Order: sequence, then C-alpha cells, then structure tokens
Amino acid sequence: MFGLIGHSSSFADARVKARQLGYDAFADGDLDVWCTAPPQLVESVSITSLTGATIEGSYIDSCFVPEMLSRFKTAKRKVLNAMELAQKTGLQITALGGFTSIIFENFNLLREQQVRATTLDWSRFTTGNTHTAWVIARQVELNAPTLGIDLGKARVAVVGATGDIGSAVCRWMAESIRVAELLLVARQQGPLEELRDSLAGSSRILPLDLALAEADVVVWVASLPKTLTIDEATLRKPCLMVDGGYPKNLDSRFSHPDIHVLKGGIVEFHTDIGWQMMEAADMERPQRQLFACFAEAMLLEFEGWHTNFSWGRNNITLEAMERIGAASRRHGFQPLALSPQSTVHSLVA
Amino acid sequence: MAASVLDSCVDGIPEGLPDFTTDAYRSAYSRINAIVIEGEQEAHDNYMAIGTLLPDEAEPLAQLARMELRHMKGFQSCARNLSVEPDMPFAQTFFAPLHANFQAALADNRVATCLVIQALMIEAFAIAAYHIYIPVADPFARRITEAVVKDEYTHLNYGQAWLKAHFEECRDEIEVANKVNLPIIRSMLEQVADDAAVLHMGKEDLIEDFLIAYQEALADVGFTTRDLARLGAAALAG
Repeated sequence: MFGLIGHSSSFADARVKARQLGYDAFADGDLDVWCTAPPQLVESVSITSLTGATIEGSYIDSCFVPEMLSRFKTAKRKVLNAMELAQKTGLQITALGGFTSIIFENFNLLREQQVRATTLDWSRFTTGNTHTAWVIARQVELNAPTLGIDLGKARVAVVGATGDIGSAVCRWMAESIRVAELLLVARQQGPLEELRDSLAGSSRILPLDLALAEADVVVWVASLPKTLTIDEATLRKPCLMVDGGYPKNLDSRFSHPDIHVLKGGIVEFHTDIGWQMMEAADMERPQRQLFACFAEAMLLEFEGWHTNFSWGRNNITLEAMERIGAASRRHGFQPLALSPQSTVHSLVA
Repeated sequence: MAASVLDSCVDGIPEGLPDFTTDAYRSAYSRINAIVIEGEQEAHDNYMAIGTLLPDEAEPLAQLARMELRHMKGFQSCARNLSVEPDMPFAQTFFAPLHANFQAALADNRVATCLVIQALMIEAFAIAAYHIYIPVADPFARRITEAVVKDEYTHLNYGQAWLKAHFEECRDEIEVANKVNLPIIRSMLEQVADDAAVLHMGKEDLIEDFLIAYQEALADVGFTTRDLARLGAAALAG
C-alpha cells in the first residue's frame, strides 16, 4: 500500500472540496476550525501499471492549507499528524506532497519522531524529490528542442539551485545533458559556491535578473515572492520556463508568445486513475496528471522498494534519478509536455 | 524553499516549561488538576455503573474502575506536590452536563451511549490532554502522567472492543450519542483553554489530538473513513 499526503492549494479551495465531499461542518468552518481539524484519509485507489501490476493506496489530506504557514506549530502538527495517520493505516511508502516536505525540511521535523504513542518510521516516507528532479530534467530535455533550443548550446538558469531538487537538476544538466552553461540562482552565497565548485562543466553564479536575461531555459524550483516582477522584454526568445516550484503560479506572469511556461514536476499516467483528488490541484487532466513526488510513492510500491528513496537534503544522485526514471517509464508515467499549439507557434515564428 | 513564508509561532503559547511557582500557574493548576481528579472519579463510577448493565463483564469493569481510582490518587499527589488545593466544585460543574447524559443513558439501559461517553469520549479527551501535558509538566507530575497514559490506552480498547462486537445493532445509537455529546466535549475543551494555556498547553493541540484519538476509536469500532469526518465534525462546528 502506498500513501500520498497532500493538501488543498488554498483555504478557499479546501472549503469547496469539503462541500463536494459532503463535509459541511468543514466547509462552513473558519481557518481556526481547520487548524484543529485532524488529518483525513479521504480516498483509496487501485492503479494498474503498463506491466499489468496493480497496487493499492490512499490519499490523506492533512487539513493543512497554505494560509497556515504563518502558524508554526499548526503547520508542524498538521504534517506530523498526517504522517502518523499514514503509518498507523499501514501504508508502506508515503510521499510528502506540496508544502508537506517543505515544512518537514524547514522545521527540521526529524527531531519530532515521537508523535503521541507512535514512533515515526522514516523509512516509510519519501519526499518524492528524486522523481520530481528527474521529471523536471526530462521536461527540459524533451521540450527545449521542440522550441528550437539546442541544449548543447543553451544557457540554463536554475532558480533555487541549492535546494534538494535544484541541485539534482543542476547535476543532471551538467553531466547527463551537458548544457553549454548553467546559471545558478539562489539566496545563499556559500551553498551556491559549493555547488558551482562541485559541478562538471561550465557554470556561473548570477542574481536572478541577470540570469533571466541570458537564459534560454529557466528551471524554477523556488517559491517566488508575490511582489517579484519580471520584464518580459529583457528575456531571450524563445525561452522555456519550467515551473517546478510550489505552488505553480508562474504562467500568470508571462504573456509573450515566445515565453513558454510548462508546469514542472508533473507526470501523466498511461490510463485514468479514477480518483478525485487531483481535481483540486488544478491539473488539466486530473484523472491522469499528478505530481511526480506522488508518483514516486507509486513507483516504489510497484517496484517493492519500501524505503525512503528520497530523504534529507542534497542526497539525490544521478544513479538514483536514472533508476527512478527507468521505473517511471516502465510503469507508464510520462513527463508533462508543452501543448502542441505552444510549440508550433515558436517554430513558425 | 519556502523559508521566507514560514514564520514563527503566533498561537500565544511560549516554548519550554512554565514557571510552576507563580500564582497564575497555581491558580490555573487548581482547576485543571481538579478536572483530572474529577474525571478519574467519574470514570471509576461510570465503569462500575456499566458493570450493572453488563453483569458478565462486571469483574473486568471493576478492575478498570479500580485502576481509575489509582490514577485519581496519583493526580491528587501531584496537587499536594505543588501545594495546590484542587477546585473540586469547579470540576463537578465542569462535568455536570456529560454526567447527566451518562446517568440518563444508564437509567435507560443504553449501554452503547454509556460506552461512547466514557470509553470513547472521556478517554480520548484524557489521552489527548495527558499527551500534551507531559512535555510541559513538572517533573513529579510528568512521571505520574506518563504511567497513567499507558493505562488509559487499555480502557479505550475495552470500550472499542465491546462497541465493535455490537456495531451493527448499536450503530444508530452511537451516531446519536456522538451528535448529542460531542458538542459538550467541545465546550469543555473551550472552557479549559485559558487555564490550559497558562500550563503551556495549546487549545488547537487539545482539540486536534482529541479528535485524532476519538476518530481512531470510531474507525476501530467499524465506521468508514467517510463517516469519521462527518462524525468528528460535530465537535468542529462548536
């Protein structure tokens, strides 16, 4: 049994979803009510791989919403309680989706292994970041050429380069794709320098505005400040923007026809899954599309790799990415691609 | 990645241990400790009463009842250790609505209702409160409370086991008992919130932990995951 821990993308969405599920007391409740709501196992599904293997799993809504981020204790409690429910339900491998893994990492919840009478077993959980990093890297590899971008000659900016996913994407770009140059963007100088020195090939540390002006491809794996404004006129055309952050809100910032925004870290399954949960996550095809981190838990279950495949920070190796990538293909997951209209315009232009 | 949006705590409960010697602490403790003592006394009386409805179970229920009295004595010693006089009249008023509902069910031979009130709700309330109290308790009370928590899990299982075995015939009664009594539990949690905060126990934590323990018990009894959110919502709506 695999598990997915997720949450609604906003408080307003959470209330709509609660109403649809028939939980009126939740739908009518204010944010304080949601702060006291326990995690709920809302859906169980069975899914069948391209290989014919079938697995079962459950989706747990932590009842966290992003509006709770300013409430440190609440956010922490939501994550730990959802993890406890996953473990007590007997789920062998559970992915921490959305803000769940970010909260786990930033609040150092490794120190909080004891939840009431339950000792959390970390080997039952995965951040899903290895699969997410592989999917984002493949999205660059597969979609840049459709826009006429030759990656061997391209500059690729990675915004959030020193994070768990960002650093893995950088290594893949440098060593597997061998892009012409990597432009590294992140807040902290020390880790940036360490990353630059560890990478094969050519890479430079740049502030965001300078990196954007030079980049043919931009991989975003950091949450963007709401106040950030980008002048489209300064960007190269065509430019592929892979929005791998959470929440995914990059597409609303660009309107130029040669700036192509692709939702990053999303996969499409080979057949309908028969669940409701991705409808709340703004997927265009919610029956088939899902976050790559969730898909990682499914892959680990398909393969019988009941282990915390992705765990801790900056532990993602190219070998692990190749391994999870091979499993991803084998079981019928495809990285989300640009829509055909988008690529046609660019090639014609 | 989202470090900038992860701000510090705003629930008003400071980190770390409170000062056990202040007047404010001792005043709050006199009510919280009394609630705990009264709760254990009620538990004793309730298990003995349930034994009259289930004569075949009278002996194990009497054993449970004796355990609750031991807990009560332990908590009385916690008050003595801090030289605090527990405010028992306050605690009796606090339990009065739930006490009345239990007595009414007892008079009508409604075993399932009695068990929902005592073995599911009061026990889940106690377990949630004890778990949250332990990290902020004084060293003496901490040892006592840790030992009690282990015992409390046994009773919860007892009530669950009976309700599970009789789930089909008493499902409707459990739902009614839930609807009638969960708002009372919610209001009890609200009443205790200010005093609990002085002891560094957060109201949100108390409510969520109670609901987790309570929903877990309901799941074991036989309700589906969809039922759980619906049943637990009676507490959230309060």
